Amino acid sequence: MTTFTQSVRRVGRVALLVPLLFAAQTCTNLTEVPHDALTSIKSDAEVLAGMTSVYAQLRSTEWVGYITLQDLTTDVSIVPTRGSDWYDNGQWLDLHRQTYTSNSSGTLAFLNGAWNDLFSGIAKANLMIDVVEKTPSATQARTLAELKGLRAWYYYMLQDMFGGAPPLVSKYSDKPQQVASSTRDELFKFIESELIAAIPDLPASWPPDGYGRLTKGAANAILASLYINAGVFSKNSGVSASSYNSCSGVTVAGNKSACQAAIDAANAVINSGLYSLAVPWSRNFSQDNGTSPENIFVIVYTKESSQGLGGNWPFRTLHYNQLTSGWGGPWNGFATLAETYQQFDATDERRGMWLAGQAFSFETGQPVNDRTGKPLVFTAIIPDANKADEAVGVRFNKFPPLPSAATGNGMPNDFPYFRLSEMYLIKAEALNEQGNQGAARTELAFVHNLRNPANPIAGGLSQAQLRDAILKERLLEFAGEGKRRSDLIRYGRYLNKWSTTMLNGKEDMSSKPHLILFPVPQPQLAANANLKQNPGY
Amino acid sequence: MAVGRTISIAAVALVFTSLPQLAAQQPTGTISGRVVDSASTQPLGNVTIAVGGTSRGAITTTDGAFTITAVPAGTHEVRARRIGYATRVSTVTVTAGSTSTANFMLPAQAAALSEIVVTGYGTQRREAISGSVATIDAEAANVGVIANATQMLQGRVAGVQLTGNNGEPGAGVQIRIRGGTSISASNEPLYVVDGVPLQNDAISPDAAGIADINKQLNRNPLNSINPNDIESITVLKDASATAIYGSRGANGVVLITTKKIGGGTSQMEYETYVGVANAYKELGVADGAQYRAFVTQQVSAGKLPATAQSSLGPANTNWEKELMQPGLATNHNFAFSGGSTQTQYRASLNYFKQQGVVLANGLQRYQGRLNAAHDAFTGRLRLGLNMMASRVQNDFAPIENTGGFRGGLFTNMLIFNPTFPIKCTAAMTSGTTATPGCSGKEAGSYYEIGSGALDVRNPVAMANQIEDVSPENRILGTFSGTLGLRDNLTAQTTVGIDYTDASRRTFAPRASPIGAQFGGYARQAERQLQNANFQQLLTYSPRFAANQELEVVGGYEYTKIDNHGFDAQMQGFITDAFGVNNLAAGTQSSSPVPTSYRVESRLASFFSRASYGIAGRYFLTGVVRYDGSSRLAEGHQWQTFPALSASWRISQESFMADKPFGVSMLALRAGWGKQGNQAVAPYQTKLLLRADPGAIYPIGNALTTGLRAAQVGNPDLRWETAEQVNVGLDYGFLNDRFTGVIDVYQKTTKDLLLEVDVPQPAVVQKRLDNIGNIRNRGVEFSFNTPLLNRATRSLILEIVGTAERNKITSLGDALAACKKDGWWKADPIPQCTTYLSGFVSGQGQSNQYSQRIMVGEPIGTFYAPIFLGVNAQGKQEFKCRASSAGCVGGKTTDPTDADREVFGSANPDFTLGVSNNGRWGSWDASWLWRGEFGGKVFNNTALVYQTKSNATQGRNFLKAALNDPDDITEPAKYSSRWIEDRSFVRLQNLTIGYELPSRFVRGRSTRVYVSGDNLLLFTGYSGYDPEVFVSSGLASRGIDYATYPRARTFTVGARAQW
Repeated sequence: MTTFTQSVRRVGRVALLVPLLFAAQTCTNLTEVPHDALTSIKSDAEVLAGMTSVYAQLRSTEWVGYITLQDLTTDVSIVPTRGSDWYDNGQWLDLHRQTYTSNSSGTLAFLNGAWNDLFSGIAKANLMIDVVEKTPSATQARTLAELKGLRAWYYYMLQDMFGGAPPLVSKYSDKPQQVASSTRDELFKFIESELIAAIPDLPASWPPDGYGRLTKGAANAILASLYINAGVFSKNSGVSASSYNSCSGVTVAGNKSACQAAIDAANAVINSGLYSLAVPWSRNFSQDNGTSPENIFVIVYTKESSQGLGGNWPFRTLHYNQLTSGWGGPWNGFATLAETYQQFDATDERRGMWLAGQAFSFETGQPVNDRTGKPLVFTAIIPDANKADEAVGVRFNKFPPLPSAATGNGMPNDFPYFRLSEMYLIKAEALNEQGNQGAARTELAFVHNLRNPANPIAGGLSQAQLRDAILKERLLEFAGEGKRRSDLIRYGRYLNKWSTTMLNGKEDMSSKPHLILFPVPQPQLAANANLKQNPGY
Repeated sequence: MAVGRTISIAAVALVFTSLPQLAAQQPTGTISGRVVDSASTQPLGNVTIAVGGTSRGAITTTDGAFTITAVPAGTHEVRARRIGYATRVSTVTVTAGSTSTANFMLPAQAAALSEIVVTGYGTQRREAISGSVATIDAEAANVGVIANATQMLQGRVAGVQLTGNNGEPGAGVQIRIRGGTSISASNEPLYVVDGVPLQNDAISPDAAGIADINKQLNRNPLNSINPNDIESITVLKDASATAIYGSRGANGVVLITTKKIGGGTSQMEYETYVGVANAYKELGVADGAQYRAFVTQQVSAGKLPATAQSSLGPANTNWEKELMQPGLATNHNFAFSGGSTQTQYRASLNYFKQQGVVLANGLQRYQGRLNAAHDAFTGRLRLGLNMMASRVQNDFAPIENTGGFRGGLFTNMLIFNPTFPIKCTAAMTSGTTATPGCSGKEAGSYYEIGSGALDVRNPVAMANQIEDVSPENRILGTFSGTLGLRDNLTAQTTVGIDYTDASRRTFAPRASPIGAQFGGYARQAERQLQNANFQQLLTYSPRFAANQELEVVGGYEYTKIDNHGFDAQMQGFITDAFGVNNLAAGTQSSSPVPTSYRVESRLASFFSRASYGIAGRYFLTGVVRYDGSSRLAEGHQWQTFPALSASWRISQESFMADKPFGVSMLALRAGWGKQGNQAVAPYQTKLLLRADPGAIYPIGNALTTGLRAAQVGNPDLRWETAEQVNVGLDYGFLNDRFTGVIDVYQKTTKDLLLEVDVPQPAVVQKRLDNIGNIRNRGVEFSFNTPLLNRATRSLILEIVGTAERNKITSLGDALAACKKDGWWKADPIPQCTTYLSGFVSGQGQSNQYSQRIMVGEPIGTFYAPIFLGVNAQGKQEFKCRASSAGCVGGKTTDPTDADREVFGSANPDFTLGVSNNGRWGSWDASWLWRGEFGGKVFNNTALVYQTKSNATQGRNFLKAALNDPDDITEPAKYSSRWIEDRSFVRLQNLTIGYELPSRFVRGRSTRVYVSGDNLLLFTGYSGYDPEVFVSSGLASRGIDYATYPRARTFTVGARAQW
């Protein structure tokens, strides 16, 4: 062979060797590590971040989640169909008129979303509890108490909506498990014991940089609310759809009566000395309401906001033309019933939460017109919710908008789950059930007379009259804060037609007592063969 | 994997032991000859002559002559091939130092059956292919204004359905080869350019959306490739053909081969065209007079307040007309080729510009390509380089996929009040004639409702003010070396890179109402996609017996995909002067935070194909591919994809020698194979914890990073596999005067990748799982014949047709509860959100779905309340079940979910393409008709905008609403009323060309032509075009919502060759 062909051979050998060696080495390795996400949690900062996402999930409970549904299915709020606007396959009126079934529009849109959102909070907490339990640290007990307390709150909301629900799956599993539901009573006991166990390890208060995190006060407030509803929440069956479901006669942990347990939990908050009623009342809902002394447990919102970290309460209710800066203006949806608006005395400072009559711009203060150029006047009566004019319905202004906020869902007003005033009203209600009308009236008057001194609570009320007065007070105090559905169910009035005039197509549903629990949404039944539909659906 | 490593080492060993075979120089000779038309005996230019088994070749000159030098001595098969003619092969013996002659007579024919077809990892003789493979003559298909290669498939290949998303220049295309058989994973085919599989992802970063979340649909990733550089396109349809591409072959494979030049003939070519396009149809919005009259009438009837009349504007503007413009398209191609006997090259340069038929948008492409080949070591080593660099400048119209609440351009075109002017005149700005949308503004500024950020915006202003451009750069290159190890063994190494780098620059100035709400909005996003590919092939073709042939291809392929991106936005500018060029000038730095990401994935494969033929009559092909993907779960990453096919050329049998019934050619093919679909996002198998804005919580009012579980990992995730059986017949009658193909197939997709609800508690609601089966069955045919075949006149007819039926046969057991309750056959059928699709867009349409995925029905099945009519009160009435609330006499005005019924599907029953190619002396003509028959399309646009209730909000509507009896308070309700028949027949293209006599122009040939695209459309559909795609949920199809109108284009062009 010539030297020429030898050198050719050498060149050829090298040329082919390089790629082939490359191939031999890398040819079968298929392991990829994500570059922009973690697959496990290790450091303290990562643990805090993991817990932060459990808090962040709280946002999902408000807008068309648990909180919105608590009002939308009652006389507090209605979303009329305005032309083609807000028709949305009838989902809004489906919920308001309580025509929901396991697969009606409202169920599939909102109830299914609420189910998933609440369980997502539970799953995120489970994931973190696993991590924290394995990594001892100085703050381990407190962190676990915080996570378990939050998880109990998610379960509270779940059982309020659906009754029984699948129980805890404490470990994160990438093989989803089809677990059967626990009974409502089992969930009640679980929530109760988790909160009681968490309280000693939770701080009474956080330094300012911990504002928003769970405290002893928050856990006690959830407990107080759990106990006052014990006549409903602890019962697997036999909840009355037409009469008051009292806490008396229900025995809870420590062999206490539920009414006494409610008083004790409320007292733990009231007597902590950390909270006081806010004056004026509107201080609780203003754009800087984070500093209100009444807050016990809130969703913290911020205007740092195209990231969706703010609230949208003003936007869902105000008219398009009332705010023109930012994201196309408000949505002109949510309103209240005339009957509900009329419950508010002219002398009660709380009437200020409503917008009726001529509407004004939040930017200029000038009167505004509707989109056809007519002066925009909010009218209380909604003649036909199926074809409403854009001006009908009194609007919420409980959480006044910040015109300079960057986006419509970027309002900085924190949303309160629990305020101190509720502790007084829970205490009043429980005392009334214990037969102590005098003490009950004192607690009720403490709240009412501060808000409406011109028209104080009368003396000498019977137990039944006090019950009515407390329910009315809860409406005045908490309209738009997601309390109404639970209250009406406890009072056996949820299914009523609410108004004498049968307005807005709502029928009297009292012959359908199964509606006091929401249906388990069809997609959940599909995903978990061991789930049972609530009776009656 | 142990198996893989062994094969690879074996390959290395084989290559090394073979190296000494590099040999010394061989003696060579020359072949020359002449090619004429068999009928007219006129000389044929532009005929490609190739010497089989070598890289030698030439192209005939205008007098039909050719000369090929440096042909190795020996006996060769010389092939003469020209578009529009059947290929002819002649056996020529070359002796060293002398010239042999080869003359050819080519018969005119449209699609030549006897040809070399590019298949996966090599080429095959057409007659040896036993799978279902279609080829496209790129020259015949490249007529009219073609922005990208995929358009060339339209109407020319049976079994390929191609639906452009809309009429925007460069708009994306939905390609379905033998139908879509996946619900969650991709249904797009695999594109392979010069042997390198492309990553079929959008090159540009996603749009920001107009203050809403509805992004535009992706553009076609092939926009960066010049159609004029394409020599041929091969479509691999059945599994026996695509299985060689294994995990990526399930949706078919499109092989694109770019032009090369053999023989070192020097040639130059210049082509140019100018086109003008216009929207050929109007939706018809109410004009100023109609709207004014309607409002006046409603005011006097007491249904609108008097202010509705007094707030009307002074103008009469047809916003639809104002938005349209004639769109110009220009194209220049310059190519030259040449070289020596050892080195050949072709270089080309392309400039293409296409303006939209709507104001202010379009596409420009600059592209250069160099294809070069070099023979070394006396032809034993052939080196090849294909290199393309291109820049596509996209100028987007401010549109969104589903319009959104506040909408893009077309939403506003439909609703913006026609009594408002486009611009303010001086009189409108002040004084008694001051108009609200103008007062206080300068004369000549755009009319806008109110001053701030309202939902409804002047669409002309929007088109002109919003800037949204995306320059895309792409480098696509392959380098290959083919080494002849022995006479019958070659090794080929290919390294390919597909790198794209695009940015998207969006600016909404303060002067526009969209920008005004943010104080100006600027965004720049970047995206880099990198796809590196390495292939090692060994081809072995022993000749062990006179009448038997065997070819074995074995190889290894490795692909690494590395994509990353970056996105930053800013608001709050003091001026519009900076545009997107100075983000730091903004103030609202907190709003959407900058984001970045990086995603990698890998594929590794070993494959082999063996083809065996006996006596040119019996052919057997076996394929096996062992494929691994990093996207799937460990333990499920590797899978084997086998295929087997056989064909029998019956006409070669002795009993067919006298051509009974005129049968001149008959071949029966049958094949079976398995393909995969792994086109899911990477990392789906893992639990991922992401820090993103949704997990941030303002603890103590300080934003605190949250780690959110972004998905429920599925460690069992595996391939979606499709099995396909194909039986086909190739036929020719009367000496191949009539030829064609018939294929029948069944494709079954198993382990469908489907997003299913996860039982709670779970960190997120849904996850990807392997559930369910889908079946596609179909018949495809093609037929072609010269209607006229004379000396100087010919007319060839080609027909392709497809009928396909798609059916979901299972959605798995995990959804037992749906089935348990009698979900599938129940009466009424309850809902399962997992299977809702085709969400309805528009105001008041939230949580409304038009389609449903269910067992026993095809994908794209419409599910709707049945519209009965409008009652005396102007309310719509629908069919209802007696058990439904509010159902009286079988009618209701508020249908419940239980009242819905299946109302057809979006899939056509039958599609047809008919094309003709004619020649009359120096004149030529071609045309293509396409039709699709059966199937439905949901006119979401009409649902939302053919609604007079828009007037209660001072908004316009389609004038068709004036003639319907609906009351002004009646909301838009989704029902069968808006689901229309989709059938259409379209004259896709008509081209007439003339070859200039050589006495007028110097050079080899010069052709001038006129061409028209989309000239005629026959359809009953009331929207712009029934061929439309809007992405609205899982596997949705056949939905039209406020889309960009399609254009009719007239083109004049010329091509000269020297």
